Amino acid sequence: MRPPDLRWTLAAVANLLLLWLTGLANHHLASAWFPFRDHFTGHLYLGGLFVTFSALRLDSRNGWIAVTVTGLLADAMTPVPFGTSVVLLGLAYAALLHGRQRFPRDEPLFGTVVALFTNLFLFLALSFFLVGANPSPARAWVRLLTDLVLSQLAIALVTPWFLALQSRGFELVRVHPETGRRVARADY
Amino acid sequence: MLSRRFDQVRPFATLGIVLLVWALLPLAVKVFTRRTLFEIQAPLTVAPSRVEDLQTFWANRLASKDDLLVAGRETAGLIAEYAYGVQQNEQLKAEILRLENLLRLPPQPEYRFEAARVARRDFSAWWQRMVIRKGENHGIIVGAPVVYVGGVVGRVSEVYRTTSIVDLITSPTVRLAATVEGDTRPISYQGGINPSFSAASGLVEFVPLDVHATPQQPRRLVTSSLGGVFPAGLTVGEITSLEMGPDGLFKSGEVRLDPRLGELTEVTVLVPLNRDDL
Repeated sequence: MRPPDLRWTLAAVANLLLLWLTGLANHHLASAWFPFRDHFTGHLYLGGLFVTFSALRLDSRNGWIAVTVTGLLADAMTPVPFGTSVVLLGLAYAALLHGRQRFPRDEPLFGTVVALFTNLFLFLALSFFLVGANPSPARAWVRLLTDLVLSQLAIALVTPWFLALQSRGFELVRVHPETGRRVARADY
Repeated sequence: MLSRRFDQVRPFATLGIVLLVWALLPLAVKVFTRRTLFEIQAPLTVAPSRVEDLQTFWANRLASKDDLLVAGRETAGLIAEYAYGVQQNEQLKAEILRLENLLRLPPQPEYRFEAARVARRDFSAWWQRMVIRKGENHGIIVGAPVVYVGGVVGRVSEVYRTTSIVDLITSPTVRLAATVEGDTRPISYQGGINPSFSAASGLVEFVPLDVHATPQQPRRLVTSSLGGVFPAGLTVGEITSLEMGPDGLFKSGEVRLDPRLGELTEVTVLVPLNRDDL
């Protein structure tokens, strides 16, 4: 009997960890210290990282499951219509999957660039969707711009670690993320 | 050739199928899934605040006896002050009841106070909310007002088994009826201005023309019992500027909110004794 293929679980658990860490960072950024200012509040959005590994390294079936589960986990914690993140992450994932054969997808630098662009798309899409509820959209965009810069900086710093963490996870269970075949550590 | 073309659009075809399945899923299934996924993550959300409590506990355990004596003396002073306040409160309640009976007014809603620790703050330009460590198990209900020492915090928007979500008055999703202190005419308040480098503020609309406010002479904005869930008289913020609205009939302006709203660690949920009061 073939063992169950749980590659998507590994990716989803890593995403859940990132979701939790982001929430923790946002808790402290709600009222944080900033040089020469009395007050600073910021918010990180790292949605771009939820699809990067799945789109670049996993096979299509496991990638879809991981992205859908992550979208649902993210939506359960945010006041958006349930399924919003599934749609947005799914769209970004489909676009990346469509063109991934043409790119050096094992390169951490390329992964970082993909995460940055994906995050930019997701952030802007979510902002256009939600900013209408704000009584002063022009002022909301100023704040959104600060949050975007902060998020992109965080993405640039975190992506190499996060991709390495997921790769290391697959290495530990000795499964190739794309083929699902068992591999020796040296072959990985 | 055809197969190669299909391979190229396959990701988008899969996305279409996922979206179709999602759209056809019954609402009950979606609600159940959302609640389940929130409850799965709830222990993770609450864990850091529990660890912080433990840190505080052990830090307090290490305090010297002299520190404890000083703290005890201060607490005794506060208890005496509060005991006097409670007596006054009882007298005022009796007076209100007498007047209600005399004027045949409907009774004011009564609340039970439920103190709750803040487990997580989530303040973005999209929403402003926090997770508190009390939920259905403690009788919290959706719509219950949440207050702190400085006035209104917000209202409970979602309730789970051991946690609840509070929408803050800084959030664009929160609207409430308010009045200027000393005035009975209702005005509309909405949160939503949350700059990165200064404290949050809100907006007021439908302010009568004879009300004036400037940054030097702000007017206190308090809750009104008209059509809202909040008891009357709780501080919302200070109106710092007012200008004529586009219709020329009312003014609109900005409300400065307490910066402590961003640092709350403990809040009180007002749970109505009669659920119909919400």
